[in-house]
Amino acid sequence: MAKVLILGAGVAGHTAALHAKRMLGKENEIIVISPNSQYNWIPSNIWVGVGKMSADQVTFPLAPVYKKKGIIFHQALAQEIHPEGDLTTDSGFVTVTYTDPSRKGETAKVEYDYLVNATGPKLNFAATPGLGPDGHTVSVCTFGHAIEAAKSLKDAIAIMKSGKRQSIVVGVGHGTCTCEGAAFEYTFNVEHEIRAAGVRDLADITYITNEYELGDFGVGGLVFSQNGFQTTSKLWTESLFREREIKAILGAHVEKIEPNEVHYELVDGKKDVLKFDFAMLLPPFRGVDMKAFDRNGVDITEKLFAPSGFMKVDADYSGKPFEEWLASDWPKTYRNPLYPNIFAVGIAFAPPHQISKPRKSPNGTLIAPSPPRTGMPSGIMGKTAILSIRELIKSGANASVASASMSDMGAACVASAGSGLKRGSAASMTMYPVVPDYVKYPNTGRSLEDTFGEIGLAGHWIKLLLHYMFTYKAKARFGWYLIPE
Amino acid sequence: MENPNESIAHAPLPTPKTLKQRKNILIQMTRFIGINLKMVKMIRKGHHPMEKKVK
Repeated sequence: MAKVLILGAGVAGHTAALHAKRMLGKENEIIVISPNSQYNWIPSNIWVGVGKMSADQVTFPLAPVYKKKGIIFHQALAQEIHPEGDLTTDSGFVTVTYTDPSRKGETAKVEYDYLVNATGPKLNFAATPGLGPDGHTVSVCTFGHAIEAAKSLKDAIAIMKSGKRQSIVVGVGHGTCTCEGAAFEYTFNVEHEIRAAGVRDLADITYITNEYELGDFGVGGLVFSQNGFQTTSKLWTESLFREREIKAILGAHVEKIEPNEVHYELVDGKKDVLKFDFAMLLPPFRGVDMKAFDRNGVDITEKLFAPSGFMKVDADYSGKPFEEWLASDWPKTYRNPLYPNIFAVGIAFAPPHQISKPRKSPNGTLIAPSPPRTGMPSGIMGKTAILSIRELIKSGANASVASASMSDMGAACVASAGSGLKRGSAASMTMYPVVPDYVKYPNTGRSLEDTFGEIGLAGHWIKLLLHYMFTYKAKARFGWYLIPE
Repeated sequence: MENPNESIAHAPLPTPKTLKQRKNILIQMTRFIGINLKMVKMIRKGHHPMEKKVK
């Protein structure tokens, strides 16, 4: 019997856990460790953040699902990985501290034969002074944050209804942020709500981002084929900004937030201040604060993790210049090179380089969107790790394992631009592959046939469909595994 | 670096006809099917981790 330990119960970890139970059956033990008691379908937090969905609609308790499936669940925070065991055991283990109210603060060692690190990101609000719910801005990264964001937005709308102008700022709160797509979505949902409240003329809406161009989305932008022409996500996004009368500040690193003021630096080195009454700025991500130790208790964190805190896998981390990277630098198996029974999937793995071109201001400030690896790719990676573990259990350590590189994987992104079954709107985009492959697709890096974008009500219906479909899947209801990642 | 707001000001603006089409239930129902089919095709193309096994 093998013990498969999964750290994290987000899209990657939860997908891995359900597939592990389905594929590895009763003979093997599947254990999930997550500090959270709830599953959160994060893409719909955007709607919680404008008051269109409740927390209950985007979350559900994990424990009953795991109990039903026969998965062991510890509500706890993973703190240390001991891949070689210690002087008392040869088995790898993880030390955890319980966050479960009934065992709060207790610590334990959880042994494993195979470890899947799917811890997701640490929301690094501390990287920008004054950023986040403990500072002066709101966030939609968790359902709790999104509820607070909705309250603040409601207050701002109430002020506008009293006739007072409001400055609304949405975007990313640091030069190295990712998830620009989510900030883009929230911008347009906020605009939609303000318009629906009849006070659009009293709102100055500004999108502030580290992207050098609109439509970059951290993936270097997209080229679509549309009506017989090649067009870009830049032109397409700019059109939407013009239509909705939203201003943009691009190539920005937010330095600090003070009450009602965003202080930022641009790629050209200029610094400025943007006043706000309501601001939702996403934080940069880093790996969670986990340490690693060898058998003798020597700290090997730097061997297992990149400086960003994300785990090293089978990628090319040689640090070659941006212009020289290749699609083949991206990981295929998500196995740690030092300890091949450890996998890191979803946001937890360290990307080898940015997809969007990194830039530095004359002052030396790095302004570089980080590669997105959430949603669909996360789920695929989680499943891929389990397929590999199945092969390793069946055929031994030298078995061939599954492969799913982001340079050979597509992604669909449906960016909501306002909710409502009849009045909603969304930008539906697909890209294939996520990481451009300029060897296979020399002109644009991606397949023109499989990369497209479209704006309309249908996109809103698709986003709604995805919400219900993936919630159904995550609840492991009948036939859940037939729904693709 | 160009001023993004100048660039936005010169971006193509959808015509009233396009805006209407984006909200038209019948047109959007066909687009709903069309976009879903495109997504399924893209998913099928890239979701085969066991077909590309590596050592």
